Amino acid sequence: MIALLTGLLSTAVLAGGVLSLAALGEVLAERVGVTDLGVEGLMSLGAATAIMTVIAVPDPWLGLLAAIAVGAVGGGVFAFAAVIMRANQVLCGLAITFLGLGLSATIGHSVAGMPAPVTFAPTRIPGLASLPVIGPAFFAQNLLVVPIYLLLPAFFHWLLFHTRHGLNMRAVGENPAAADAAGIPVVAIRFWYVVLGAALAGGAGAYLSLAVIPSWSEGMVSGRGWIAVALVIFAGYRPFNAAGAGLLFGLITAIGFLGQARGWPIAAPVLNMLPYLGTLAFIILPVLFWKRMRQVMAAPAALGTPYYRSVR
Amino acid sequence: MRFQRFPTAPARLVLAWRAAALFAAALITGVLLALSGRDVFELLALVLKSTVGSRFGLEDLALFMIPLILTGSAVTVTSRIGLWNIGGEGQFYLGAIGAAGVGLYMPGPPILVLPAMAAAAMLCGVAWIAVPTFARAYAGVNEIITTLLLNFVAGLLTYWLATGPWRDRVTGALASTGRIPVAIPEIWGVVHWGFPVALLIACGLAVIMTRTSWGYEVRISGANPGAARYAGMPMRARVIAVMLLSGALAALAGMFEVAGTVHRLQGGMADNFGYLGIVVAVLARKSCLAVIPAALLMALILDAGIVLQTQQLAATVVLAITGLVLLLIAIGDELAHYRPVAPVVRPASPRLPPASKTTI
Repeated sequence: MIALLTGLLSTAVLAGGVLSLAALGEVLAERVGVTDLGVEGLMSLGAATAIMTVIAVPDPWLGLLAAIAVGAVGGGVFAFAAVIMRANQVLCGLAITFLGLGLSATIGHSVAGMPAPVTFAPTRIPGLASLPVIGPAFFAQNLLVVPIYLLLPAFFHWLLFHTRHGLNMRAVGENPAAADAAGIPVVAIRFWYVVLGAALAGGAGAYLSLAVIPSWSEGMVSGRGWIAVALVIFAGYRPFNAAGAGLLFGLITAIGFLGQARGWPIAAPVLNMLPYLGTLAFIILPVLFWKRMRQVMAAPAALGTPYYRSVR
Repeated sequence: MRFQRFPTAPARLVLAWRAAALFAAALITGVLLALSGRDVFELLALVLKSTVGSRFGLEDLALFMIPLILTGSAVTVTSRIGLWNIGGEGQFYLGAIGAAGVGLYMPGPPILVLPAMAAAAMLCGVAWIAVPTFARAYAGVNEIITTLLLNFVAGLLTYWLATGPWRDRVTGALASTGRIPVAIPEIWGVVHWGFPVALLIACGLAVIMTRTSWGYEVRISGANPGAARYAGMPMRARVIAVMLLSGALAALAGMFEVAGTVHRLQGGMADNFGYLGIVVAVLARKSCLAVIPAALLMALILDAGIVLQTQQLAATVVLAITGLVLLLIAIGDELAHYRPVAPVVRPASPRLPPASKTTI
């Protein structure tokens, strides 16, 4: 039983890391008031870039770095259109998704199906790894797991809720006009946090193609970016909740894997539907049954609206 | 010269900026293709010859336009009420499933089976968008994400049906259902009656949206929800009706694809038509009639993609080009709001003597 639980949690942590990291990035973008629907495309670009980098130079960290850089560049294009030019955020996000999916499949065509020559191998963290259940799940995985679930959420939580800069960020997302009047550089803050969020989405792609599914194939992201965007709503725009939500959906995926491995009498495609249906249930049901949550977990007030200094 | 942002964008400016955006997209694509060592002008000539320059090209264009008009209309009707149906892909699949189910298992003459297929398809599409619709109408849940998530479920469902319960035992290797015995009759080459029907539907929607009080209420609910509520318009009922209509339209595209073009149900058959419908709707700028030329443009891009594919370029280049077009058009549409205005001439005010510095 313990072995089963440990196995399940390990798989969940591994698979959920993609969602956690991307959702964390999206939390940053949405906290400053920008809906970035390009996550799916950026993730795909990151995944393809990472694989192509490690095929050229066999170092997973270099692959991760390249994916983060490509994510940042893609995010820069999005932020240029949506924040500086103030074009429709939904459209720009969809455009980046199309662009990212198309571009990654085109450039990754030559390496499709090739296994990654190097991956983020599991490493035991001395001491912590021998904890029951939690040890193998969190501290004997690849070295990205602890940053994704613990260090990054802790840092961004501190940044958002315990620093003046974080207060400024939230002000930009809630009421950009007031923030502007208070002398906060609205456009600069929006631009750079959208870029940072996109960089994390690119990194999530690298994590996907170097740690979870160590290869590249067209369509391998298969909606993970969209699930990450949905998780941000479910997580109430909070960093730790986002990481936790990613883990929860990793668990749903893990249960699907378990079902396939154990030969449950359910077809594989039906089991594969679980994460999507789960996401749908988790963003609809809380709103229906827990009215207070709408206030506690509300979206930033200016989310999705471009800021014009002259228009009130 | 000073530029000021106006709340409205005149159609003339929008068209000009969009032309510039399309030109820029073509230029960027051309430069990238040239950098990858291809003769751009030769490719362009080839694309023109095999799309508008030949009968087969024109037939392909019309075939591509059928689903694009319908999925484009599906997104356009929701955009009129200020919502996004990004789930056209999933509703397309459900339409295909409904149509294939009836087509495979209902015996009878085509004159009876075809309408039954269309009805089943539309019912399935409506059922597929029902959860996002009611979540939006009663709980305010963001419809973009809910409709989109269901696309993946629908894709898996289609794949499962085509490779599992409905798999054809004879051509099992193809992993699709058997050939559906009835088909929409063809009118011109491979172009079937779906083409005029799709055109008629687009025109019909335009009439409903611009010439009926129902359409008026939908437009006002989208343009100014506060005013609509104040005027006592049943906004929730309109939201529900429009979203369900949208699901039915996208599903009809799936039915036409099954009954007119593919003749069987197979995994991946939606081929991004649902997503491209978003692009068509954006190009059409909320006008149901403009969906037709927008679908033509999108069909041209798709057709060009097939030509590029024969030139050792991945089919996915088209998706990237579409993204580029969409991004540049989004920027162009925003730029169209800016118009030059006369520089502010400050009246020569009598110079006041400098106020004495006061200290508090």
